[in-house]
Amino acid sequence: MTSIVSVQGLTKVFPGGLQALKGIDLEIEEGEVLSLLGPNGAGKTTLISIICGLTTASGGRVTVGGHDIARDFRAARELIGLVPQELHVESYEKVINTVRFTRGLFGKKPDDALIERILRDLTLWDKRDEKILALSGGMKRRVMIAKALAHEPRVLFLDEPTAGVDVELRQSMWQVMRKLKERGVTIILTTHYIEEAEAMADRVGVINHGELLLVEKTGQLMTRMGRKTLTVELAAPVSDLPETLARRGVTLGEDGSSLVYTYDTAAKQTGITDLLADIREAGLHLADLRTTQSSLEDIFVGLVTGSTQ
Amino acid sequence: MNLHAIRAIYLFEMARTFRTIWQSVVSPVISTSLYFVVFGAAIGSRIETVEGVSYGAFIVPGLIMLTVLQQSVTNAAFGIYFPKFVGTIYEILSAPVTVVEIVIGYVGAAATKALMIGLIILGTANLFVDLPIAHPVWMLAFLVMTTFSFAMLGFILGIWAKNFEQLNLVPMLVITPLVFLGGSFYSISMLPPVWQSITLFNPVVYLISGFRWSFFGMADVPVAASLAAIALFAGLCLVAIWAIFRTGWRLRS
Repeated sequence: MTSIVSVQGLTKVFPGGLQALKGIDLEIEEGEVLSLLGPNGAGKTTLISIICGLTTASGGRVTVGGHDIARDFRAARELIGLVPQELHVESYEKVINTVRFTRGLFGKKPDDALIERILRDLTLWDKRDEKILALSGGMKRRVMIAKALAHEPRVLFLDEPTAGVDVELRQSMWQVMRKLKERGVTIILTTHYIEEAEAMADRVGVINHGELLLVEKTGQLMTRMGRKTLTVELAAPVSDLPETLARRGVTLGEDGSSLVYTYDTAAKQTGITDLLADIREAGLHLADLRTTQSSLEDIFVGLVTGSTQ
Repeated sequence: MNLHAIRAIYLFEMARTFRTIWQSVVSPVISTSLYFVVFGAAIGSRIETVEGVSYGAFIVPGLIMLTVLQQSVTNAAFGIYFPKFVGTIYEILSAPVTVVEIVIGYVGAAATKALMIGLIILGTANLFVDLPIAHPVWMLAFLVMTTFSFAMLGFILGIWAKNFEQLNLVPMLVITPLVFLGGSFYSISMLPPVWQSITLFNPVVYLISGFRWSFFGMADVPVAASLAAIALFAGLCLVAIWAIFRTGWRLRS
Protein backbone atom coordinates (compact mmCIF):
# COMPACT_ATOMS: atom_id res chain seq x y z
CA MET A 1 0.00 0.00 0.00
CA THR A 2 1.80 3.11 -1.22
CA SER A 3 0.22 6.47 -0.90
CA ILE A 4 0.65 8.73 -3.90
CA VAL A 5 -0.86 11.76 -2.22
CA SER A 6 -0.09 12.43 1.40
CA VAL A 7 -1.81 15.25 3.28
CA GLN A 8 -0.62 16.03 6.79
CA GLY A 9 -2.20 18.49 9.19
CA LEU A 10 -3.41 20.70 6.37
CA THR A 11 -5.08 23.91 7.47
CA LYS A 12 -6.48 26.88 5.59
CA VAL A 13 -7.70 30.13 7.03
CA PHE A 14 -9.02 32.60 4.47
CA PRO A 15 -8.23 36.32 4.86
CA GLY A 16 -11.77 36.95 6.09
CA GLY A 17 -11.07 34.61 9.02
CA LEU A 18 -13.02 31.64 7.68
CA GLN A 19 -11.32 28.44 8.71
CA ALA A 20 -11.92 26.29 5.65
CA LEU A 21 -9.71 23.35 6.64
CA LYS A 22 -9.01 22.34 10.23
CA GLY A 23 -6.07 19.98 10.11
CA ILE A 24 -6.79 17.42 7.40
CA ASP A 25 -4.79 14.16 7.38
CA LEU A 26 -5.31 11.97 4.35
CA GLU A 27 -3.34 9.27 2.59
CA ILE A 28 -4.47 8.47 -0.95
CA GLU A 29 -3.30 5.14 -2.31
CA GLU A 30 -1.92 4.76 -5.79
CA GLY A 31 -4.53 3.48 -8.24
CA GLU A 32 -7.58 3.94 -6.06
CA VAL A 33 -10.72 5.96 -6.65
CA LEU A 34 -11.39 8.10 -3.61
CA SER A 35 -14.61 9.99 -3.37
CA LEU A 36 -14.87 13.06 -1.17
CA LEU A 37 -18.37 13.70 0.01
CA GLY A 38 -19.57 16.73 1.82
CA PRO A 39 -22.16 19.49 1.69
CA ASN A 40 -21.47 22.80 -0.01
CA GLY A 41 -18.78 24.79 1.77
CA ALA A 42 -17.44 21.72 3.56
CA GLY A 43 -13.90 22.32 2.28
CA LYS A 44 -13.71 19.78 -0.56
CA THR A 45 -12.74 22.27 -3.23
CA THR A 46 -10.33 24.09 -0.92
CA LEU A 47 -8.54 20.81 -0.21
CA ILE A 48 -8.23 20.03 -3.92
CA SER A 49 -7.19 23.58 -4.77
CA ILE A 50 -4.34 23.45 -2.28
CA ILE A 51 -3.05 20.12 -3.57
CA CYS A 52 -3.18 21.41 -7.15
CA GLY A 53 -1.54 24.76 -6.43
CA LEU A 54 -4.49 27.13 -6.89
CA THR A 55 -4.69 28.05 -3.22
CA THR A 56 -1.91 28.41 -0.70
CA ALA A 57 -2.11 26.43 2.53
CA SER A 58 -2.00 28.14 5.92
CA GLY A 59 -0.32 25.18 7.58
CA GLY A 60 0.52 21.52 7.12
CA ARG A 61 2.24 19.61 4.38
CA VAL A 62 1.22 17.88 1.15
CA THR A 63 3.31 15.57 -0.99
CA VAL A 64 2.40 14.09 -4.38
CA GLY A 65 4.47 11.13 -5.51
CA GLY A 66 6.83 11.99 -2.65
CA HIS A 67 7.37 15.55 -3.88
CA ASP A 68 6.46 18.44 -1.59
CA ILE A 69 3.91 20.63 -3.41
CA ALA A 70 5.60 23.85 -2.28
CA ARG A 71 9.33 23.11 -2.35
CA ASP A 72 9.29 20.69 -5.27
CA PHE A 73 6.21 22.02 -7.05
CA ARG A 74 7.40 21.23 -10.54
CA ALA A 75 7.79 17.48 -9.94
CA ALA A 76 4.58 17.35 -7.89
CA ARG A 77 2.41 19.19 -10.40
CA GLU A 78 3.63 17.16 -13.38
CA LEU A 79 1.84 14.18 -11.80
CA ILE A 80 -1.47 15.98 -11.32
CA GLY A 81 -4.40 16.57 -13.63
CA LEU A 82 -7.24 18.82 -12.50
CA VAL A 83 -10.79 19.19 -13.74
CA PRO A 84 -12.28 22.08 -11.79
CA GLN A 85 -15.91 22.41 -10.92
CA GLU A 86 -16.69 25.42 -13.08
CA LEU A 87 -16.57 25.22 -16.86
CA HIS A 88 -13.51 27.32 -17.66
CA VAL A 89 -12.79 27.17 -21.38
CA GLU A 90 -11.16 29.24 -24.10
CA SER A 91 -14.29 29.74 -26.18
CA TYR A 92 -12.62 30.78 -29.40
CA GLU A 93 -9.99 28.07 -29.42
CA LYS A 94 -10.32 24.76 -31.27
CA VAL A 95 -10.79 21.65 -29.14
CA ILE A 96 -7.61 19.93 -30.27
CA ASN A 97 -5.46 23.05 -29.84
CA THR A 98 -6.58 23.66 -26.30
CA VAL A 99 -5.70 20.05 -25.42
CA ARG A 100 -2.30 20.39 -27.10
CA PHE A 101 -1.76 23.61 -25.17
CA THR A 102 -2.23 21.88 -21.82
CA ARG A 103 0.19 19.13 -22.73
CA GLY A 104 2.85 21.71 -23.55
CA LEU A 105 2.10 23.74 -20.46
CA PHE A 106 2.79 20.68 -18.33
CA GLY A 107 6.18 20.29 -19.97
CA LYS A 108 5.48 17.35 -22.26
CA LYS A 109 6.60 17.26 -25.87
CA PRO A 110 3.83 17.14 -28.51
CA ASP A 111 2.26 13.70 -29.03
CA ASP A 112 -0.61 13.78 -31.50
CA ALA A 113 -1.23 10.03 -31.29
CA LEU A 114 -1.87 10.30 -27.56
CA ILE A 115 -4.11 13.33 -27.99
CA GLU A 116 -6.10 11.46 -30.63
CA ARG A 117 -6.58 8.55 -28.22
CA ILE A 118 -7.74 10.87 -25.42
CA LEU A 119 -10.17 12.67 -27.70
CA ARG A 120 -11.53 9.38 -29.07
CA ASP A 121 -12.00 8.00 -25.55
CA LEU A 122 -14.06 11.03 -24.68
CA THR A 123 -15.93 10.93 -28.02
CA LEU A 124 -14.51 14.34 -28.88
CA TRP A 125 -12.52 13.29 -31.93
CA ASP A 126 -15.22 14.35 -34.39
CA LYS A 127 -15.37 17.73 -32.69
CA ARG A 128 -11.62 18.30 -32.64
CA ASP A 129 -11.63 21.19 -35.10
CA GLU A 130 -14.67 22.91 -33.67
CA LYS A 131 -14.46 25.99 -31.54
CA ILE A 132 -15.25 25.22 -27.91
CA LEU A 133 -17.89 27.92 -28.07
CA ALA A 134 -19.98 25.68 -30.33
CA LEU A 135 -20.06 22.71 -27.93
CA SER A 136 -22.77 21.74 -25.47
CA GLY A 137 -22.15 21.96 -21.73
CA GLY A 138 -21.50 18.24 -21.43
CA MET A 139 -19.03 18.37 -24.30
CA LYS A 140 -17.22 21.30 -22.71
CA ARG A 141 -16.90 19.24 -19.55
CA ARG A 142 -15.30 16.49 -21.63
CA VAL A 143 -12.90 18.98 -23.16
CA MET A 144 -11.80 19.90 -19.64
CA ILE A 145 -11.25 16.24 -18.82
CA ALA A 146 -9.28 15.81 -22.05
CA LYS A 147 -7.11 18.79 -21.08
CA ALA A 148 -6.50 17.33 -17.64
CA LEU A 149 -5.41 14.03 -19.20
CA ALA A 150 -3.23 15.55 -21.92
CA HIS A 151 -0.01 15.29 -19.92
CA GLU A 152 -0.67 11.73 -18.71
CA PRO A 153 -1.11 12.55 -15.01
CA ARG A 154 -0.88 9.80 -12.42
CA VAL A 155 -3.36 11.53 -10.16
CA LEU A 156 -6.57 13.03 -11.49
CA PHE A 157 -8.72 15.40 -9.46
CA LEU A 158 -12.31 15.67 -10.59
CA ASP A 159 -14.23 18.36 -8.77
CA GLU A 160 -17.93 17.63 -9.21
CA PRO A 161 -17.46 16.18 -12.71
CA THR A 162 -21.09 15.27 -13.22
CA ALA A 163 -22.76 18.33 -11.71
CA GLY A 164 -25.47 19.49 -14.08
CA VAL A 165 -24.85 16.64 -16.48
CA ASP A 166 -27.67 14.46 -17.79
CA VAL A 167 -27.97 10.80 -16.81
CA GLU A 168 -26.66 9.42 -20.08
CA LEU A 169 -23.59 11.63 -20.01
CA ARG A 170 -23.00 10.78 -16.37
CA GLN A 171 -22.95 7.09 -17.24
CA SER A 172 -20.43 7.69 -19.99
CA MET A 173 -18.27 9.78 -17.64
CA TRP A 174 -18.24 6.84 -15.26
CA GLN A 175 -17.12 4.68 -18.15
CA VAL A 176 -14.24 7.05 -18.79
CA MET A 177 -13.28 6.98 -15.12
CA ARG A 178 -13.29 3.19 -15.08
CA LYS A 179 -11.00 3.11 -18.10
CA LEU A 180 -8.61 5.49 -16.40
CA LYS A 181 -8.64 3.42 -13.25
CA GLU A 182 -7.78 0.35 -15.32
CA ARG A 183 -4.74 2.25 -16.60
CA GLY A 184 -3.68 2.81 -13.02
CA VAL A 185 -4.62 6.48 -12.68
CA THR A 186 -5.48 7.50 -9.14
CA ILE A 187 -8.75 9.41 -9.11
CA ILE A 188 -10.00 11.79 -6.46
CA LEU A 189 -13.58 12.68 -7.06
CA THR A 190 -15.72 15.15 -5.19
CA THR A 191 -19.39 14.77 -5.62
CA HIS A 192 -22.80 15.61 -4.31
CA TYR A 193 -24.21 12.46 -5.81
CA ILE A 194 -23.84 9.66 -3.32
CA GLU A 195 -24.91 7.31 -6.08
CA GLU A 196 -21.76 8.31 -7.91
CA ALA A 197 -19.52 7.61 -4.93
CA GLU A 198 -21.25 4.28 -4.39
CA ALA A 199 -20.78 3.30 -8.03
CA MET A 200 -17.22 4.55 -8.53
CA ALA A 201 -15.28 4.83 -5.33
CA ASP A 202 -13.03 2.30 -3.63
CA ARG A 203 -13.02 4.52 -0.58
CA VAL A 204 -15.21 7.33 0.61
CA GLY A 205 -14.10 10.32 2.66
CA VAL A 206 -16.67 12.52 4.32
CA ILE A 207 -15.79 16.18 4.91
CA ASN A 208 -17.83 18.68 6.85
CA HIS A 209 -16.88 22.05 8.35
CA GLY A 210 -13.27 21.60 7.20
CA GLU A 211 -12.83 18.32 9.01
CA LEU A 212 -12.42 14.87 7.56
CA LEU A 213 -15.00 12.88 9.50
CA LEU A 214 -13.96 9.51 8.13
CA VAL A 215 -12.27 7.72 5.27
CA GLU A 216 -13.36 4.15 4.73
CA LYS A 217 -13.71 1.46 2.08
CA THR A 218 -17.07 2.05 0.43
CA GLY A 219 -18.30 -1.50 1.10
CA GLN A 220 -17.07 -1.51 4.69
CA LEU A 221 -18.71 1.79 5.39
CA MET A 222 -21.96 0.48 4.01
CA THR A 223 -21.80 -2.60 6.20
CA ARG A 224 -20.61 -0.80 9.29
CA MET A 225 -23.00 2.05 9.08
CA GLY A 226 -25.60 0.37 6.95
CA ARG A 227 -28.89 -0.60 8.48
CA LYS A 228 -31.63 -2.66 6.98
CA THR A 229 -35.30 -2.16 7.38
CA LEU A 230 -37.75 -5.06 7.37
CA THR A 231 -41.29 -4.12 6.49
CA VAL A 232 -43.99 -6.67 7.23
CA GLU A 233 -47.24 -6.07 5.41
CA LEU A 234 -50.20 -7.39 7.42
CA ALA A 235 -53.16 -9.20 5.96
CA ALA A 236 -55.47 -7.04 8.09
CA PRO A 237 -54.63 -3.70 9.73
CA VAL A 238 -54.27 -3.50 13.53
CA SER A 239 -55.05 -0.52 15.73
CA ASP A 240 -52.57 -1.26 18.54
CA LEU A 241 -49.09 -2.69 18.42
CA PRO A 242 -48.87 -5.90 20.54
CA GLU A 243 -46.65 -5.37 23.61
CA THR A 244 -44.27 -8.25 22.68
CA LEU A 245 -43.47 -6.57 19.38
CA ALA A 246 -43.15 -3.05 20.81
CA ARG A 247 -40.45 -4.37 23.17
CA ARG A 248 -38.43 -5.49 20.16
CA GLY A 249 -38.44 -1.96 18.79
CA VAL A 250 -41.00 -2.60 16.10
CA THR A 251 -43.12 0.36 15.06
CA LEU A 252 -46.46 0.41 13.41
CA GLY A 253 -46.51 1.66 9.85
CA GLU A 254 -49.00 4.14 8.49
CA ASP A 255 -52.67 3.18 8.89
CA GLY A 256 -51.65 0.09 10.90
CA SER A 257 -51.30 -2.19 7.92
CA SER A 258 -47.57 -2.82 8.32
CA LEU A 259 -44.87 -3.39 10.92
CA VAL A 260 -41.44 -1.74 10.54
CA TYR A 261 -38.33 -3.25 12.06
CA THR A 262 -34.84 -1.78 11.67
CA TYR A 263 -31.76 -3.89 12.33
CA ASP A 264 -28.01 -3.73 11.99
CA THR A 265 -26.62 -5.85 9.17
CA ALA A 266 -23.30 -6.15 10.95
CA ALA A 267 -24.87 -7.54 14.17
CA LYS A 268 -24.45 -11.25 14.90
CA GLN A 269 -28.11 -11.69 15.69
CA THR A 270 -30.58 -9.70 13.72
CA GLY A 271 -33.52 -10.99 15.77
CA ILE A 272 -35.61 -11.62 12.69
CA THR A 273 -36.41 -15.26 13.52
CA ASP A 274 -37.66 -14.35 17.02
CA LEU A 275 -39.57 -11.41 15.61
CA LEU A 276 -41.41 -13.58 13.10
CA ALA A 277 -42.26 -16.08 15.87
CA ASP A 278 -43.65 -13.26 18.02
CA ILE A 279 -45.75 -11.95 15.14
CA ARG A 280 -47.22 -15.40 14.70
CA GLU A 281 -47.88 -15.73 18.43
CA ALA A 282 -49.63 -12.36 18.46
CA GLY A 283 -52.03 -13.87 15.95
CA LEU A 284 -51.14 -11.55 13.07
CA HIS A 285 -51.17 -12.79 9.47
CA LEU A 286 -48.51 -11.76 6.99
CA ALA A 287 -49.37 -10.53 3.54
CA ASP A 288 -45.85 -9.69 2.37
CA LEU A 289 -42.27 -9.12 3.53
CA ARG A 290 -39.67 -6.71 2.18
CA THR A 291 -36.24 -5.49 3.28
CA THR A 292 -34.45 -2.34 2.23
CA GLN A 293 -30.77 -1.47 2.65
CA SER A 294 -29.95 2.06 3.77
CA SER A 295 -27.97 3.83 1.05
CA LEU A 296 -24.72 5.72 1.36
CA GLU A 297 -26.90 8.79 1.22
CA ASP A 298 -28.63 7.93 4.49
CA ILE A 299 -25.28 7.16 6.05
CA PHE A 300 -23.91 10.44 4.82
CA VAL A 301 -26.86 12.48 6.05
CA GLY A 302 -26.51 10.74 9.41
CA LEU A 303 -22.81 11.60 9.63
CA VAL A 304 -23.13 15.17 8.52
CA THR A 305 -26.06 16.02 10.73
CA GLY A 306 -24.25 14.25 13.57
CA SER A 307 -21.20 16.47 13.09
CA THR A 308 -23.29 19.60 12.77
CA GLN A 309 -25.08 19.09 16.05
CA MET B 1 13.40 25.39 -17.73
CA ASN B 2 10.03 24.15 -18.98
CA LEU B 3 10.59 25.08 -22.63
CA HIS B 4 7.48 23.23 -23.78
CA ALA B 5 5.39 25.45 -21.52
CA ILE B 6 6.98 28.66 -22.78
CA ARG B 7 6.38 27.50 -26.34
CA ALA B 8 2.79 26.52 -25.55
CA ILE B 9 1.92 29.86 -23.94
CA TYR B 10 3.72 31.86 -26.64
CA LEU B 11 2.05 30.01 -29.52
CA PHE B 12 -1.35 30.12 -27.84
CA GLU B 13 -1.08 33.89 -27.42
CA MET B 14 0.20 34.37 -30.96
CA ALA B 15 -2.70 32.29 -32.28
CA ARG B 16 -5.04 34.62 -30.41
CA THR B 17 -3.32 37.56 -32.12
CA PHE B 18 -3.64 36.01 -35.57
CA ARG B 19 -7.34 35.25 -35.03
CA THR B 20 -7.90 39.01 -34.90
CA ILE B 21 -5.03 39.97 -37.17
CA TRP B 22 -7.00 42.53 -39.18
CA GLN B 23 -8.14 44.45 -36.16
CA SER B 24 -4.64 44.20 -34.74
CA VAL B 25 -2.93 45.55 -37.81
CA VAL B 26 -5.42 47.72 -39.63
CA SER B 27 -6.35 50.05 -36.79
CA PRO B 28 -2.79 51.14 -35.90
CA VAL B 29 -1.99 51.61 -39.59
CA ILE B 30 -5.04 53.80 -40.10
CA SER B 31 -4.48 55.86 -36.96
CA THR B 32 -0.82 56.35 -37.85
CA SER B 33 -1.81 57.52 -41.32
CA LEU B 34 -4.23 59.98 -39.72
CA TYR B 35 -1.46 61.37 -37.51
CA PHE B 36 0.61 61.85 -40.63
CA VAL B 37 -2.13 63.71 -42.38
CA VAL B 38 -2.83 65.97 -39.39
CA PHE B 39 0.60 66.49 -37.87
CA GLY B 40 2.81 65.82 -40.85
CA ALA B 41 0.91 67.54 -43.62
CA ALA B 42 -1.20 70.19 -41.87
CA ILE B 43 1.11 71.29 -39.06
CA GLY B 44 4.32 70.11 -40.69
CA SER B 45 3.85 72.47 -43.58
CA ARG B 46 4.31 75.33 -41.11
CA ILE B 47 7.18 73.91 -39.05
CA GLU B 48 9.34 72.60 -41.89
CA THR B 49 12.34 71.30 -39.94
CA VAL B 50 13.25 70.44 -36.34
CA GLU B 51 16.99 70.44 -35.73
CA GLY B 52 17.61 69.87 -39.38
CA VAL B 53 15.14 67.04 -39.85
CA SER B 54 11.92 67.52 -41.80
CA TYR B 55 8.97 67.62 -39.38
CA GLY B 56 7.22 64.74 -41.13
CA ALA B 57 10.22 62.48 -40.54
CA PHE B 58 10.87 63.91 -37.08
CA ILE B 59 7.55 62.68 -35.67
CA VAL B 60 7.95 59.12 -37.00
CA PRO B 61 9.89 57.71 -34.00
CA GLY B 62 7.39 59.29 -31.61
CA LEU B 63 4.44 57.94 -33.55
CA ILE B 64 5.91 54.45 -33.57
CA MET B 65 6.60 54.68 -29.84
CA LEU B 66 3.06 55.91 -29.16
CA THR B 67 1.50 52.84 -30.78
CA VAL B 68 4.16 50.38 -29.65
CA LEU B 69 3.81 51.42 -26.00
CA GLN B 70 0.02 51.21 -26.09
CA GLN B 71 0.14 47.88 -27.91
CA SER B 72 2.74 46.35 -25.56
CA VAL B 73 0.77 47.37 -22.49
CA THR B 74 -2.69 46.43 -23.71
CA ASN B 75 -1.65 43.15 -25.38
CA ALA B 76 0.09 41.86 -22.29
CA ALA B 77 -2.60 43.18 -19.94
CA PHE B 78 -5.34 41.53 -21.95
CA GLY B 79 -3.31 38.34 -22.40
CA ILE B 80 -3.19 37.64 -18.67
CA TYR B 81 -6.46 39.36 -17.72
CA PHE B 82 -8.53 37.26 -20.09
CA PRO B 83 -7.68 33.86 -18.54
CA LYS B 84 -8.40 35.44 -15.15
CA PHE B 85 -11.74 36.70 -16.45
CA VAL B 86 -12.90 33.42 -18.03
CA GLY B 87 -11.29 31.28 -15.33
CA THR B 88 -8.81 29.38 -17.46
CA ILE B 89 -6.01 30.82 -15.29
CA TYR B 90 -6.49 27.73 -13.11
CA GLU B 91 -4.45 25.84 -15.64
CA ILE B 92 -1.51 28.21 -15.51
CA LEU B 93 -1.56 28.23 -11.70
CA SER B 94 -1.66 24.44 -11.45
CA ALA B 95 1.00 23.85 -14.11
CA PRO B 96 4.63 23.00 -13.38
CA VAL B 97 5.84 26.40 -14.54
CA THR B 98 7.88 29.12 -12.87
CA VAL B 99 7.14 32.85 -12.95
CA VAL B 100 9.97 33.38 -15.41
CA GLU B 101 8.47 30.86 -17.84
CA ILE B 102 4.99 32.37 -17.58
CA VAL B 103 6.37 35.87 -18.13
CA ILE B 104 8.53 34.85 -21.10
CA GLY B 105 5.49 33.23 -22.72
CA TYR B 106 2.95 36.01 -22.17
CA VAL B 107 5.24 39.01 -22.31
CA GLY B 108 7.15 37.54 -25.23
CA ALA B 109 3.98 37.13 -27.27
CA ALA B 110 2.68 40.60 -26.37
CA ALA B 111 6.04 42.14 -27.22
CA THR B 112 6.22 40.25 -30.51
CA LYS B 113 2.87 41.59 -31.59
CA ALA B 114 3.78 45.14 -30.60
CA LEU B 115 7.08 44.80 -32.44
CA MET B 116 5.31 43.57 -35.56
CA ILE B 117 2.95 46.54 -35.46
CA GLY B 118 5.87 48.90 -34.85
CA LEU B 119 7.59 47.62 -37.97
CA ILE B 120 4.37 47.87 -39.98
CA ILE B 121 4.02 51.51 -38.94
CA LEU B 122 7.62 52.10 -39.90
CA GLY B 123 6.80 50.66 -43.32
CA THR B 124 3.69 52.83 -43.59
CA ALA B 125 5.66 55.92 -42.57
CA ASN B 126 8.12 55.21 -45.35
CA LEU B 127 5.30 55.69 -47.82
CA PHE B 128 4.72 59.24 -46.55
CA VAL B 129 8.19 60.55 -45.86
CA ASP B 130 11.79 59.94 -46.73
CA LEU B 131 13.16 58.22 -43.63
CA PRO B 132 16.86 57.75 -42.92
CA ILE B 133 17.83 55.24 -40.24
CA ALA B 134 21.27 56.11 -38.89
CA HIS B 135 21.66 53.16 -36.52
CA PRO B 136 19.36 50.32 -37.66
CA VAL B 137 20.61 47.82 -35.09
CA TRP B 138 20.07 50.26 -32.24
CA MET B 139 16.70 51.17 -33.67
CA LEU B 140 15.66 47.53 -33.46
CA ALA B 141 17.26 47.15 -30.05
CA PHE B 142 15.32 50.12 -28.66
CA LEU B 143 12.10 48.72 -30.08
CA VAL B 144 12.70 45.28 -28.59
CA MET B 145 13.66 46.64 -25.17
CA THR B 146 10.67 48.97 -25.13
CA THR B 147 8.16 46.34 -26.16
CA PHE B 148 9.43 43.87 -23.56
CA SER B 149 9.59 46.30 -20.67
CA PHE B 150 6.18 47.81 -21.36
CA ALA B 151 4.65 44.40 -21.97
CA MET B 152 5.83 43.58 -18.43
CA LEU B 153 4.04 46.68 -17.19
CA GLY B 154 0.94 45.51 -19.05
CA PHE B 155 1.27 42.07 -17.51
CA ILE B 156 1.24 43.62 -14.02
CA LEU B 157 -1.72 45.74 -15.04
CA GLY B 158 -3.61 42.67 -16.26
CA ILE B 159 -3.08 40.93 -12.93
CA TRP B 160 -4.07 44.05 -11.01
CA ALA B 161 -7.21 44.83 -13.02
CA LYS B 162 -10.49 43.60 -11.59
CA ASN B 163 -12.60 44.63 -14.57
CA PHE B 164 -12.33 45.84 -18.14
CA GLU B 165 -12.57 49.50 -17.12
CA GLN B 166 -9.46 49.21 -14.99
CA LEU B 167 -7.77 47.39 -17.82
CA ASN B 168 -8.23 50.41 -20.08
CA LEU B 169 -7.52 52.97 -17.39
CA VAL B 170 -3.72 52.91 -17.36
CA PRO B 171 -3.17 52.92 -21.14
CA MET B 172 -5.70 55.77 -21.47
CA LEU B 173 -4.81 57.90 -18.48
CA VAL B 174 -1.11 57.20 -18.06
CA ILE B 175 0.55 55.90 -21.21
CA THR B 176 -1.08 58.20 -23.78
CA PRO B 177 -0.42 61.46 -21.84
CA LEU B 178 3.14 60.41 -21.06
CA VAL B 179 3.83 59.73 -24.72
CA PHE B 180 2.20 62.95 -25.90
CA LEU B 181 4.14 64.94 -23.32
CA GLY B 182 7.26 62.90 -23.91
CA GLY B 183 8.34 64.68 -27.05
CA SER B 184 6.61 62.55 -29.69
CA PHE B 185 5.69 65.59 -31.75
CA TYR B 186 8.28 68.12 -30.63
CA SER B 187 11.83 68.40 -29.45
CA ILE B 188 12.25 69.09 -25.74
CA SER B 189 14.53 71.98 -26.66
CA MET B 190 11.43 73.73 -28.04
CA LEU B 191 9.94 73.95 -24.51
CA PRO B 192 10.47 76.78 -21.97
CA PRO B 193 13.39 75.97 -19.57
CA VAL B 194 11.10 75.07 -16.59
CA TRP B 195 9.18 72.54 -18.64
CA GLN B 196 12.41 71.15 -20.01
CA SER B 197 13.37 70.18 -16.44
CA ILE B 198 9.94 68.89 -15.46
CA THR B 199 9.73 66.78 -18.57
CA LEU B 200 12.88 64.90 -17.57
CA PHE B 201 10.78 63.08 -14.94
CA ASN B 202 8.74 61.55 -17.73
CA PRO B 203 10.27 58.12 -18.42
CA VAL B 204 8.91 58.09 -21.97
CA VAL B 205 11.13 61.07 -22.84
CA TYR B 206 14.14 58.76 -22.57
CA LEU B 207 12.56 56.13 -24.78
CA ILE B 208 11.57 58.52 -27.54
CA SER B 209 14.83 60.40 -27.36
CA GLY B 210 16.90 57.23 -27.65
CA PHE B 211 14.71 55.87 -30.40
CA ARG B 212 14.87 59.13 -32.34
CA TRP B 213 18.64 59.12 -31.98
CA SER B 214 18.75 55.73 -33.73
CA PHE B 215 17.05 57.37 -36.73
CA PHE B 216 18.61 60.84 -36.96
CA GLY B 217 21.67 60.63 -34.74
CA MET B 218 20.41 63.43 -32.47
CA ALA B 219 18.79 63.17 -29.06
CA ASP B 220 17.24 65.27 -26.28
CA VAL B 221 19.01 63.28 -23.56
CA PRO B 222 22.22 61.22 -23.78
CA VAL B 223 21.73 57.77 -25.32
CA ALA B 224 23.30 56.16 -22.26
CA ALA B 225 20.62 57.79 -20.09
CA SER B 226 17.94 56.33 -22.39
CA LEU B 227 19.40 52.85 -22.09
CA ALA B 228 19.75 53.15 -18.32
CA ALA B 229 16.13 54.34 -18.03
CA ILE B 230 14.79 51.34 -19.98
CA ALA B 231 16.95 48.92 -18.00
CA LEU B 232 15.78 50.45 -14.71
CA PHE B 233 12.15 50.33 -15.77
CA ALA B 234 12.40 46.70 -16.93
CA GLY B 235 14.15 45.78 -13.68
CA LEU B 236 11.40 47.37 -11.58
CA CYS B 237 8.71 45.51 -13.53
CA LEU B 238 10.54 42.21 -13.12
CA VAL B 239 10.81 42.66 -9.38
CA ALA B 240 7.13 43.56 -9.16
CA ILE B 241 6.09 40.47 -11.16
CA TRP B 242 8.31 38.25 -9.06
CA ALA B 243 6.71 39.65 -5.90
CA ILE B 244 3.20 39.17 -7.32
CA PHE B 245 3.74 35.47 -7.97
CA ARG B 246 5.58 34.97 -4.72
CA THR B 247 2.69 36.35 -2.69
CA GLY B 248 -0.01 35.15 -5.10
CA TRP B 249 -1.49 38.69 -5.07
CA ARG B 250 -4.77 38.71 -7.02
CA LEU B 251 -3.95 35.25 -8.36
CA ARG B 252 -4.09 32.69 -5.55
CA SER B 253 -6.49 32.80 -2.62
